[in-house]
Amino acid sequence: MLMPVPILPAEGVALAPALPLIAALLILGLRIAGRGVGESGERAIARITLGANIAVEGLLIVFLLQGLILGWPGHVDMGNWFASGDWRLPLSFTLDGMSLGIASVTTFIALAALKFSLTYMHREAGFARFFVGMNLFAGGILLVLLAGNAILLFTGWELMGLASWMLIGYAFERPTATLNAQRAFLTNRVGDAGLLLAMALSFLWLGGIDWPTLEAGAPRLPTLYASLIALGFVTAALAKSAQLPFTPWIARALEGPTPSSALFYGAVMVHAGVFLLARLGPLLAEAPGISFLIALLGALTACYGWLVGYVQSDVKSALLYATVSQVGLMFVAIGLGWFELAAWHAALHALWRAWQFLSAPSYMHMLDAPTRPAPEWLRKHGWLYTAALQRFWLEPLADRLLTLPSRALARDLRALDENVVCALVGMSEAQRVTELLSTREEVVKGRGVIGRMLAWSAHHLYRFERRLVLQGGDGSLAKGLNRLGIWLRFVESLLEQPRYLLVLIMATVVVIL
Amino acid sequence: MLKILLLLPLLGALFISALPGRRARLIRQAALVISGATLAWSIWLASAFDPSHADVQLVESHSWNPRLGSAFSLAVDGISLPLVWLATLLAFIAILASGGIRERVKGYYLLLLLLECAMLGVFTARDWSLFYVFWELTLLPLFFLIDRWGGLGRQKAALNFVLYTMGGSVFMLIALLMLYDASPGHSFDMDAIRRGALALPETAQVTLFLALLIGFGVKMPIFPLHGWLPLTHVEAPSPVSILLSGILLKMGSYGLIRATWTLPAAAEALQGVLMTLAMVSLVYGGVLAWQQRDLKAMIAYSSVSHMGVVLLGVATLNSAGLIGAVMQMVAHGLVAGTLFLLAGLLYERTHTRDLADYGSLVAVMPRFAFFTILAFICAAGMPGSAGFVAEMHALVGGFERWGGWVVLLSLSVLISMAYAIRTVGRLFTGPASPRMQGLPDLSRSEMTAALMLSFGSVALGIHPGPMLDLIATSVGRYALLFGA
Repeated sequence: MLMPVPILPAEGVALAPALPLIAALLILGLRIAGRGVGESGERAIARITLGANIAVEGLLIVFLLQGLILGWPGHVDMGNWFASGDWRLPLSFTLDGMSLGIASVTTFIALAALKFSLTYMHREAGFARFFVGMNLFAGGILLVLLAGNAILLFTGWELMGLASWMLIGYAFERPTATLNAQRAFLTNRVGDAGLLLAMALSFLWLGGIDWPTLEAGAPRLPTLYASLIALGFVTAALAKSAQLPFTPWIARALEGPTPSSALFYGAVMVHAGVFLLARLGPLLAEAPGISFLIALLGALTACYGWLVGYVQSDVKSALLYATVSQVGLMFVAIGLGWFELAAWHAALHALWRAWQFLSAPSYMHMLDAPTRPAPEWLRKHGWLYTAALQRFWLEPLADRLLTLPSRALARDLRALDENVVCALVGMSEAQRVTELLSTREEVVKGRGVIGRMLAWSAHHLYRFERRLVLQGGDGSLAKGLNRLGIWLRFVESLLEQPRYLLVLIMATVVVIL
Repeated sequence: MLKILLLLPLLGALFISALPGRRARLIRQAALVISGATLAWSIWLASAFDPSHADVQLVESHSWNPRLGSAFSLAVDGISLPLVWLATLLAFIAILASGGIRERVKGYYLLLLLLECAMLGVFTARDWSLFYVFWELTLLPLFFLIDRWGGLGRQKAALNFVLYTMGGSVFMLIALLMLYDASPGHSFDMDAIRRGALALPETAQVTLFLALLIGFGVKMPIFPLHGWLPLTHVEAPSPVSILLSGILLKMGSYGLIRATWTLPAAAEALQGVLMTLAMVSLVYGGVLAWQQRDLKAMIAYSSVSHMGVVLLGVATLNSAGLIGAVMQMVAHGLVAGTLFLLAGLLYERTHTRDLADYGSLVAVMPRFAFFTILAFICAAGMPGSAGFVAEMHALVGGFERWGGWVVLLSLSVLISMAYAIRTVGRLFTGPASPRMQGLPDLSRSEMTAALMLSFGSVALGIHPGPMLDLIATSVGRYALLFGA
């Protein structure tokens, strides 16, 4: 029997996340080169973006069909990113039904959003910037979905965070936009810390961070260790998917242009957490406490999203809270161990929400009746209504519990810095700035105790250098040689005279005899 | 293949000598094409080179003077190949950066190509006599390049440079002749000399090694022998400074590594001396660089400090340290090349090198600012730059030998950070100086040059694996001699 041969080698999957990233770089290059503005620039950007993403979609579909017919390649190891001693950062991808399926759906949604935004963003000032962000995001999410290990996933995770920060702050001249971008980014950093912690722990206890190692090693770990690793990953998933207690950032994220909201918060990025946890199923099976926590937080978020969604008065927020509560349901499924169900739910929900978000700007025209008010029972319970309207005061609570103490700590540290450290290593910032502005003559100057020590030693070493080492350079070497030359010329002139030559010859003869 | 590498710039120099001297543009383009072809050929060498093989490869040997036992024999291994790449790259960059040379153009490019040929000869020679010939051959073009195209004090600087180097190479020549005398078949071949040297009594070996150390130490430069360096670097035209600090200094350390292979017992006996000299150079160069107001003098002194890392790596005589030494040669070549390139371009525009004269250049020359800041970051050995990888290896190697003493290396890194930040601050922040307004930013060819060098530094810092493997294979053979 003839063995069917795959059309594309499994390694080719690396192209899928690479192409949108290359597209982002190209657009950036265009912009730096002064092109990428005006009608022709927009056309070039459109061609680059659509070309890259259509190519990715084609690639993924080929892989998908190939996998369905010939079987999934599974974990594809492509060597090391770098290695040192007995630990290594692998460059590996996972090609199975879940990753390829969700990746091709994701790219399809991304394509739709990109095509939509070509018209939506037409003649906007930040056209190029917007598409750099979108392409970065498309590359990032594909890295997350196709990664065969935690470090590649982390890279993609950060790229998504960066792109999201760029696009929330798209209208950077508005203070609220920048503030919201910062807030969303910072909340996500908490999740990143969890991801880093989980990676460090799995290096420590399992000796690797690729999925097969985690899968094989998890059953052998004590429950506490497995739970700690899982907790790190779960924190990251909760933050990215805007589950409680991290939910408030996603409302602020709506500040970005509508197509980016559709792609990030409506359709794709919120499901990244679900995907990560579904990928880590075997690990979660070893950590029942954490699974329970996931289910609990998911259920709470679902209720929270449902309640808060009722009282939203704008279409984007209402859609967003509906999304959050659906994702909460997925987390419940994950917590109960129904990973496949969660993955299917995520894929279908993503498609549906993307359509809803993209049509959100036209809802006002589509509706002929006024929107429904909040239901009767909610209006009856005034306290619940207020709580929902205030989004359960989550953000002020976080401020009070986290931001204010951090600020106080920072103030104390600053006082310490001003009074002790500055005296040791240099002046305070304010003094230095005034000094910099007033006197510019004194270039070489040591500040503080350490700086003065350096200046003192430099001064003495320089004197040594001038006296001893550079003396040759000051011409005394050449002077010495000159003196030697004059003296030799004198000897020679003596020798030229016959009587001295005779004396020399006689002396030589005497010596020889 | 190596023969062609040497012949390309040599024939190119001949070709340029045949061109009419008035056609400055044509001469410059011809020189660019020739050095570009040499660069391409040196990269093409990689295809014939087997990196898993530790011994020298691509051997070519022709008898030269059979009665004397000298041969025209060329070969490269994992230690010299990176330096060959560095030399061809920097020679290309130096020619690219020579747009500011307006007078006596023909002679200038001719000498630069001759210099390139001689430098490549030093790195590929497998015969000590040939090595010495090429070593001295670098002096001729350099003397004229500094003496005719340099700054105000150029005559003094050129003379000083040649006297210093000649003084050092006298010791080297005597040592080589004595080694030749001791070699069994009276041959200058590096392997034959080594066989003869191993049979010598240890005191003789130590004496010979010290003589070689003086010869190579002047070039490197090691602490008390660096008197020529600040003056020469300040006065030399900037493209020549690129070659001086980028490659000429590496000839010294390259020779020293070959000397440890030839006289291993002496190297082991003098390990403490080498380490002390390295530590002194590290801190001394750093502190003096911190003291300078002249931009070029600062970079020159920082070279002393950076070459201290190389010496430290060599002194460890173990695998990690030697890898660090070779890596640092490459890293410093790239970084010093970038810094001198940029300092030269700035001088061309402002005609001042005093740090106090600059201010807020970032608004006037954003591209220049970007590359300068990147270069200073790389020079200070931040993670992600080639210098970091090199210093890390030297640190690990040094720690294996001497434990806590290597903290001095960290101290010098700290000092280099201090002057790097101060310089960046002086150049790009503060009140704008009215004299600095309206300066043109980097042109396309200048940017290409800066981009190539910075890309090299960063690429080697982010993905050092292949280069480290290449170096490690050959260095492993050396480290085995010393049981580490």
